[in-house]
Amino acid sequence: MKEGGARIGIDVGGTFTDFVLSHPSDGSLTYYKEPSTPDEPSRALIEGLRSLLRIAGLTPADVSVLMHGTTIGLNAIIQRRGATIALVVSEGYRDILEIARSRMPSSFDFHAAKEEPLVPRFRVVEIAARLSASGEVTSRPDDAEIDRVAGELKALGVDAAAMVLINGYTSPEVETELAARLSERAGGLSITSAAAIWPEIREYERTLVACLNAYIQPLMQRYFNGLAEGLAKDGVTAPILVTASNGGSLSLASAAARPVETILSGPASGVMAAARLAEAADVSAIITFDMGGTSSDIAVASGGTAELATRTDIGGLPLVLPVVDVSAIGAGGGSIVWVDAHGVMKVGPQSAGAMPGPVSYGRGGTEPAVTDCYLALGYIDPNGFLGGRMRLDIEAATAALCGIGGRIGMSGENAAQKAAEGALAVTTAGMATELYKTLASRGLDPATFALVPFGGAGPTHANLLAEETGIGHVVIPPAAGTFCAMGAAAADLRRDFVRSLRRPLDEDTAALLWRTFDMLGEEGADWLDREGEQTLERRFERGVDMRYAGQAYELRVSLAEDLKDPKAIAEAFHREHERLYGFRDTGAEIELGTARLAVIGATANLAQAEIAAGTGNPERKGARPLFRKGAWLDAGVYSRSALGAGDRIIGPAIIEQDDTTTVVLPGWSARADRAGNLHLERQAQ
Amino acid sequence: MKLDSVTLAILGNKLAAVSEEMCLTLQRTGRTLYVKETADFACALAGLDGRFFAYPRSIGVSGFVGLECAPAIAAVGPLEPGDVILTNDPYRSEGLATHLPDLHMIEPYFHDGRIVAYGWCFVHCSDVGGRVPSSISPTNTEIFQEGLRIPPVKLMKRGEMNPDVKLFLDANSRTPDANMGDIRAMLAALTAGRRRLEQTIGQHGAETVSQAAEDLVSYAAEKARAVIDRVPAGTYAFSDYLDDDAVTKLPVRLSLAATFGNGEVHLDFTGTDPQVATAMNIPSRGRPHAWLTLRVLALVSTLDPTAPLNVGLLGPVRITAPEGSLVNPQEPAATGVRHAAAIRVNDVLNGAFGKALPHVMPAASSGSVIPVVMAEPDGQGGKRVQVIEPMIGGTGARSGSDGVDGRDSGISNLSNNPVETVEAEMAVEILRYGLRPDSGGVGQWRGGCGMELTFRVLAGGTNVLGRGMERLLFRPWGSNGGGPGMPAQLIVNKGRADERHLGKIDILEVNAGDTVTFLTPGAGGWGPASLRDPQAVAGDVRNGFVTAEGARAGYGVVIAHGEVDEAATAGLRKTFAVSNNPNDQGPERERWNSVFDGDVMDQLNQKLVALPAASRQRRRRDILERVLAGLPQNFPRVDADHGAIQIARQQLEAALSDL
Repeated sequence: MKEGGARIGIDVGGTFTDFVLSHPSDGSLTYYKEPSTPDEPSRALIEGLRSLLRIAGLTPADVSVLMHGTTIGLNAIIQRRGATIALVVSEGYRDILEIARSRMPSSFDFHAAKEEPLVPRFRVVEIAARLSASGEVTSRPDDAEIDRVAGELKALGVDAAAMVLINGYTSPEVETELAARLSERAGGLSITSAAAIWPEIREYERTLVACLNAYIQPLMQRYFNGLAEGLAKDGVTAPILVTASNGGSLSLASAAARPVETILSGPASGVMAAARLAEAADVSAIITFDMGGTSSDIAVASGGTAELATRTDIGGLPLVLPVVDVSAIGAGGGSIVWVDAHGVMKVGPQSAGAMPGPVSYGRGGTEPAVTDCYLALGYIDPNGFLGGRMRLDIEAATAALCGIGGRIGMSGENAAQKAAEGALAVTTAGMATELYKTLASRGLDPATFALVPFGGAGPTHANLLAEETGIGHVVIPPAAGTFCAMGAAAADLRRDFVRSLRRPLDEDTAALLWRTFDMLGEEGADWLDREGEQTLERRFERGVDMRYAGQAYELRVSLAEDLKDPKAIAEAFHREHERLYGFRDTGAEIELGTARLAVIGATANLAQAEIAAGTGNPERKGARPLFRKGAWLDAGVYSRSALGAGDRIIGPAIIEQDDTTTVVLPGWSARADRAGNLHLERQAQ
Repeated sequence: MKLDSVTLAILGNKLAAVSEEMCLTLQRTGRTLYVKETADFACALAGLDGRFFAYPRSIGVSGFVGLECAPAIAAVGPLEPGDVILTNDPYRSEGLATHLPDLHMIEPYFHDGRIVAYGWCFVHCSDVGGRVPSSISPTNTEIFQEGLRIPPVKLMKRGEMNPDVKLFLDANSRTPDANMGDIRAMLAALTAGRRRLEQTIGQHGAETVSQAAEDLVSYAAEKARAVIDRVPAGTYAFSDYLDDDAVTKLPVRLSLAATFGNGEVHLDFTGTDPQVATAMNIPSRGRPHAWLTLRVLALVSTLDPTAPLNVGLLGPVRITAPEGSLVNPQEPAATGVRHAAAIRVNDVLNGAFGKALPHVMPAASSGSVIPVVMAEPDGQGGKRVQVIEPMIGGTGARSGSDGVDGRDSGISNLSNNPVETVEAEMAVEILRYGLRPDSGGVGQWRGGCGMELTFRVLAGGTNVLGRGMERLLFRPWGSNGGGPGMPAQLIVNKGRADERHLGKIDILEVNAGDTVTFLTPGAGGWGPASLRDPQAVAGDVRNGFVTAEGARAGYGVVIAHGEVDEAATAGLRKTFAVSNNPNDQGPERERWNSVFDGDVMDQLNQKLVALPAASRQRRRRDILERVLAGLPQNFPRVDADHGAIQIARQQLEAALSDL
């Protein structure tokens, strides 16, 4: 990395490609949005980068690193537009993807269908190869068998393949070596070995990791190659890093080899940015609230880092790689407001999307959406949307909401506003209940968290959600609308490694565990060395899944560097078990499950730009009526960019910026801090 | 409905979420496999009438929406804050509990000194004593063999656990600590529900919340009526059989007449067999019980997915379940494996509804859930017992869609076990775990494939248990011209010289090196097979769901070099009759019906159920055995000649008139 160059974060979304540039001289930030080009995403990126550099007054040579997140892989999986791949699997397991974990998506709907497998059954090829649970090769294919399988693969004419052997996780080298031999005889076909990429016990889940990787790899490699070439032509020589689902990042070469690690990078970057922002602002624990057009997501973070999950759902398929734990909680700005046949109001799950969009977009939408409700209630300015680039039709929105009101017995004066307020109440209650459930499953109480909203509608809706859930503190980042790009710009390098052990805990296995950590640590250190980025500091995080013998579930326990004694390891497990489940079982044998190691290479921190001090009482740029609890209130309108540090505003108020609008409800106040964050706080009664 | 539209929408969401949050608390703090892995638990909120107005949609056991708490509440007398009722007794709780391992708890939720709602939860605990470990065995004949019966008692009095009750609980379980762990998790769930309900009352007021509870039930009932109203009025009858009662070889009959009209459905089980002397009885107490009405809930939820999940969905359901029958047994009938019969109850509802709604209802699903269990020496004189895989089949085809292969959520939606974790814990090598080609019923739309599990046992002295094996005789039926699925099979040492085909097993002893193969039934097809698009058949052959031979024999489609041979197919299909059998139940059932036809069996069962409980089963066994004595030993697997059938029929009718 070039010392003192500009760091640039880029988030390629479905509608816009967002850019954030951290200026080398003073750490000031430049934001830019370029309409995305989904047919060829690198075009918007390259063109947007030119514009960004021009606005910032820099040249390509001034760039020190490009950090880049993309949803190309995710979209290919959800829409099943990935490569044509084959799966090579141990004899007897041709149906591994058909059976999956044998569950149906719904237990009531007898018209429900199962997910479409990534590899149809005719492209699954069995091979006479497998291992035992203790790692011995119990069936080894001879040359004729390998040739037979290679022949079948060639006849299938696939772009790539995945391979999984039963118990392959016990000795990844066996599968790696077989995959290499097979590839050689199948004309150099790219074969992802499941045991090499993710040696964790559970054959179906591991198979999916390998299949997903093979499925998106050709597409991602094409994209990365095109991007690197295009940038090189423009004279950008800085390294390109790709953000990962675990909140970290990887080099372009690593991402091309293991694209499966990048599929959820977009939401992960936003959450990581919020986690770092909260730490810098001395806010100890947060719930992020990302509200976009079609849906809203939350995640939990504390101590500058986000909670990770090791089981997420990707278009109906479980993914066991560690990813920032993001949960959907319901409606977005485009969610449709409707009334069912029995006169009960509903919001979503249908969304107006970008086309036709809410009624107020004037693009042919006839059903009101959540955004139309904001407009009718005075939350957002019809002339200020997207910095004034798009005028919203408030009359049409009001008329459509009047129609909704008519169907649920709301008439007369302010019928549209009452319907809109009702719809927002339904929306907020839906989000709140999902938020409660998400936290209840981890034994957490929302009242002890601050809410950090981002995304186009997050700051507009955050105060409503905080009020409903008893959260007393909302922290709104400066560039809430381009927050995922911001997260990308500051991402560390990070890679996760696993090895399943499945042994009872004793002196010998504790030593084995640490030998495993040492081995994974070396692998991790080698990886960091090869990534090319100069990192400021490298760090290893170690954890192990453990359980009481016979228990059906495992708990992840973090292990500090000096925790090598089996008794101390056991105590760490007992303590965690007690914290989560309220009891410990000192008589039971403890088993070690999967050892996990994350290697993290911290990159340069973004310099913190500070905003100038304010007067304490900022000036209104105007006022507009805000409808709340059945009446019109007079709300002051403020410009976010005019606020100085220490400025304080009493609700009801509206604070506008180019990419979003913040609503401050009565009973709340807003305060700007030196970093430019806006803190909404419930006022003492 | 009295509340405004917005408030109702908000409270509908919040109250359902209270029940889900209770479930999440229970799952997080629960201790045993049933809670953590298989989610055999549920939580809900009941109104003052003891019926559920809020029930979780996405977690826990989905089918218990129709359970009633009122009898258990009435049994314990006046309640105070902090009291919690515990019961597991199907008879004394009037069907709230349906077998003894299910511990049910009820806590009154107070506001301003009076009860505003009840929190309810249940967990399938590990063991409540009785004759066998885990308390459940199909061969138990009385509930007294199934473990400790807990009549509704106050486990908690004013927030303190009743030490006497705890002593009884601890003394009567093989796993007292695990049970107490689950009980504490249930108490935590009830507390979570109480707190969240209090908060909701704080936000909206007690009256509004109570009104919402009422309105939500009316709302669900309206939605259910609207769906029921779409069913053409009339009476639709259907019958099906369990292969046997797990001890005798005699099939067990379930019969239903479903009458739709005026926004209601009446389910009349008259004609169903008397209660059995094994543990398959469903203790419904004659109510529209969860185990008898699951398919109604599924019908409503399929046709109107927005209906809230609460007791209102059963508002339009009336039921007649003759006392003393399999679906309403008298004390002390054993009930441990009542879900085995419930699967067939689902099938008869499905069949009857299918006659009314042929384009909505699917053909029969595979209709069996078999937890294949292995018990191996643990090296300390005991046995280590573990489920290898819960084996299911596929779902039935329906108009416009093939059945699902190798998955079936009809009765429970359990996850399977990763082969690698099983092999890491047990001395077993799983050789094949996959779909069973050609097992799905043929049809214009193909029934879902059943499954195969083959494993090699590595240690001597091992037992294999396959409880829940069904449909080895009577096949999952097809619909509207579709064919039945293949029946189940159990084979030891398949492909070896000492290959053995076994029927239903309770406990199978195997030697080290033996292989065991379970083949689960395929599901029924829909529509005549001769109308299936040959390209769809070719696709199935390419993917291996159907073999080339199966395509020829079952569909009249000739596949050559992976492609449809158009000319040969046209020729073959000319010889194919277009089936118009509304429900092809397979040759075994046809043979059975040629002797034991529906009308006669209806009459027989009506007469039997009227007899004193003690003599019903004996009389039935005597009659059936006498009639079967004149038929070939393997009847109805094999044909009987016309004369033998005539004689058997006459014997049956004579026996009927003697009753």
